[in-house]
Amino acid sequence: MQQIAKQTGQLVAIIGPGVLWIIVFLVLPSLYLISIAFLSNDPYGLPQLPLSLHAFRELAGFGLLGWSPGNLYTLGRSLWQATFATILVILISYPIAYYIATRPVHLRPLMLVLIVVPSWTNQVIRAVGWMNLFSPGTPLANLSAMLGFTEPQMGLFPSQFAVVVGMVYNFLPFMVLPLYAAFERLDHAQVEAARDLFATPMRAFVHAVLPQTLPGLLAGTVLVAVPAFGMFVVPELLGGGRSSMIGNLVARQFADGANWPLGAAGALLMILATLLGLYILRRAARRLSSEREMLL
Amino acid sequence: MRLFWYATMLFLYAPLAVVVLFSFNAANSPARFAGFSLRWYDRLMTNDALLLAFKNSLILGVSSSLIAVVFGAMLGYGMYRFRHWHLHWLVWLIYLPIVMPDVVYGISEMTFFVAMHRNFGIFEPGLSTMILAHVSFQIPFVALLVHSRLLVLDPLLFEACADLYASPLKRLRYFLIPVLWPALLASFLLAFTLSIDDFVISFFTAGPSSTTLPIYIWSAVRKGITPEVNAVAALIIAAVGIAGLAALVYHHVKFRFSHSVKT
Amino acid sequence: MPQPTANGARQASSISIRSLHKAFSSKMTALDGVDLDVQPGEFFTLLGPSGCGKTTLLRIIAGLEQPDRGSISIGGRLLDGVPPHQRSVNTVFQSYALFPNRNVRDNIGFGLQMQRVKRQIIQQRVQAMAEITKVDDLLDRNPEQLSGGQKQRVALARALINEPDVLLLDEPLSALDAGLRGQLQVELQRLQRRLGMTFVFVTHDQQEAMVMSHRMAVLHEGQVQQVGTPQVIYEQPKTLFVARFMGHQNIFAIQQRNEDEIVADFGVLKGRFAAGSHILLREEALSLKAGVVEGHNRLTARVEECLYRGGSTEYRVLCGNARLTVRSHNLGQALFASGQDVTIDVAPEAVAILPG
Repeated sequence: MQQIAKQTGQLVAIIGPGVLWIIVFLVLPSLYLISIAFLSNDPYGLPQLPLSLHAFRELAGFGLLGWSPGNLYTLGRSLWQATFATILVILISYPIAYYIATRPVHLRPLMLVLIVVPSWTNQVIRAVGWMNLFSPGTPLANLSAMLGFTEPQMGLFPSQFAVVVGMVYNFLPFMVLPLYAAFERLDHAQVEAARDLFATPMRAFVHAVLPQTLPGLLAGTVLVAVPAFGMFVVPELLGGGRSSMIGNLVARQFADGANWPLGAAGALLMILATLLGLYILRRAARRLSSEREMLL
Repeated sequence: MRLFWYATMLFLYAPLAVVVLFSFNAANSPARFAGFSLRWYDRLMTNDALLLAFKNSLILGVSSSLIAVVFGAMLGYGMYRFRHWHLHWLVWLIYLPIVMPDVVYGISEMTFFVAMHRNFGIFEPGLSTMILAHVSFQIPFVALLVHSRLLVLDPLLFEACADLYASPLKRLRYFLIPVLWPALLASFLLAFTLSIDDFVISFFTAGPSSTTLPIYIWSAVRKGITPEVNAVAALIIAAVGIAGLAALVYHHVKFRFSHSVKT
Repeated sequence: MPQPTANGARQASSISIRSLHKAFSSKMTALDGVDLDVQPGEFFTLLGPSGCGKTTLLRIIAGLEQPDRGSISIGGRLLDGVPPHQRSVNTVFQSYALFPNRNVRDNIGFGLQMQRVKRQIIQQRVQAMAEITKVDDLLDRNPEQLSGGQKQRVALARALINEPDVLLLDEPLSALDAGLRGQLQVELQRLQRRLGMTFVFVTHDQQEAMVMSHRMAVLHEGQVQQVGTPQVIYEQPKTLFVARFMGHQNIFAIQQRNEDEIVADFGVLKGRFAAGSHILLREEALSLKAGVVEGHNRLTARVEECLYRGGSTEYRVLCGNARLTVRSHNLGQALFASGQDVTIDVAPEAVAILPG
């Protein structure tokens, strides 16, 4: 008993400062923000009593002037842009991860670093790069105008296209890494057995390769889709009003168009989406314990 | 396949290359390259707001990383030492800052600091609140890195220390800190990179006088993208490029070394 | 701290262990009332299968584990609640536990450094100890550059250099291959005899225990089954467990014991025997003769299997309702074939009665 008390004391002394820091500067603020979602807003957009669910109704589009679909459009757009970006990321990452995993051992770390290095720079800087490329008068913009995708003299941004490209660019490493880990562990005997049993390459892929890489694919999908849903910088810089996402909607409520409770309600939605993603990820990780080692 | 790889590399590096290229552009527009010039870099050197932002970024990065390394390493060691207690809540707490969407993260800090400032007069938004916020998201990364290093050690080493007359304090001084030294250095660099790279959380917790480099670039970009912004960005890309190169060289040397030892 | 005398020889310490109990949970009792006395300068072995509590006992002596009840004293000093770093006891761990961030020299010198010995003196003593343990050409290497046997020697040097009252060795040879193992057994034994230090050695290998020890204790389920010299433990095991663990094959329940005979599955043996539950016939002390020869304490049997092992031949024979193993030394005599009728000669010294 006495020993357990002593050890508990040591535990508190060792992890106390770090735990306390995270609780005070993340958990409490988040709880405070969530609580704001259940308050009403004063004329300046700041929260006040009484408690109400008004913010959630507002998030669903019920405003002073009756129902308008604006917020729901933003929500839908967040979902669709995140989904579209995720699918593109998968389509690019799958062959890339496979390609890296089939290169000689000493080349692989180098190739992985090459994939990861761009993400070491700042999100804002990466967006600036695309703004340069997509500006009016650049070869890319001229090409798209020539093909009739955009008006002459217009740039490729702001646009949904630019937002999706920016997100794919941002999240590519998050998909390549778990997929690569899955491919590296691929049991080639299974693939060869499938080929040996007269499976076509396509059927061998579906029955032998895909199931083995599925946990990695699922992990990557969550790692990409969840932050993509909450993306803020990319739509803000590369998109306009017609491609803004829920992160922008939330941020706006704490800036010019102040309405804290509405913003907090949106934030709560984002937190719930994140928790859902985490839950899926844990389920996926359990299916392949080695995957868990990598992620946790 | 090989072609697809090169296409992906082009996709990944073209935006960065363009930034660097146009930072040397004599003209003012990204539409055409009008010859090589260093004038944007000249202009940077005399831009007081930018130099202040650079200084702020450094102060923020170094001080938050130092605090985070100390507390994060303690947390990582605690996780290791009490691993048989199965502290699941601790794992959740540590993953929380990593998975929290950055907009929500930044905004909850902001509302919290504003409320504290209004009611108690503490936490006025500025560099200090930014440091507090940055440490909170750096701690988990440090803790996980230190924890993973400890997990690969033979647990008997701790007992061997005690057995060889090392008191708890000496175990820390002569065993734990030396053996963790590379991991601590790596965590400091990681924490520093996270801090320098962070825009969203800094943006929401910053005060009027605590502009950092990413915030400076952000507000400059909002006014319209100029070669001057490209020049700042190019400098940061160069720093990252050097770090990447260093990582590669380090890996290469280590790889060669481990092979030469075996043969 | 023990004071080394000028020539390096020193006063060795005794260990006395009294009614030691340790349980890790309600279901897992590691030690269940252990009493032991180790003499000064003795090579004492704790022998038993895995999970018998031998390693736990060693860790309690080192102070790495706290007993639930009972006490330990070394050299007459009671060690209740004394933390490991204040005990003059050093351990050679099974995995060696060499510090990965220190080279061999600094590993060996670690204990002296912690005791604030002057750097110069540490250098000298490390050099001297490295020569004794034959690692003096490895001093500047890092642990990962050493082979298993070399790590073993470094771990030994790192413990011995502190001249502890007691040296504890936790299966230090079990990770080595057979040849190296035999060589190190001999070296370790010589070293102990030369230093005169008290060694407590843990192993699950009864051959290793017999080769090296002055005395040994056989542990089973947290209890001491028997303490004694290797010869006593092997030739006069007290319990069924000890007899089996020491490798004996011919152990039979005593069915009936009369004043001058014993009846078991294999037949009847004449003689005045002590009381007990089982009878043990040592396989190497039995001898075989061809054909059926009547006589005092002779058992008739039939050879079932014949396993030629070079130096000796092992026969499995059917004798009454029992199967016996007989090992005969190959001194040039003809081998018996399976199916052949033989007579087993049971000499008095081949018989032991297990009281427990």
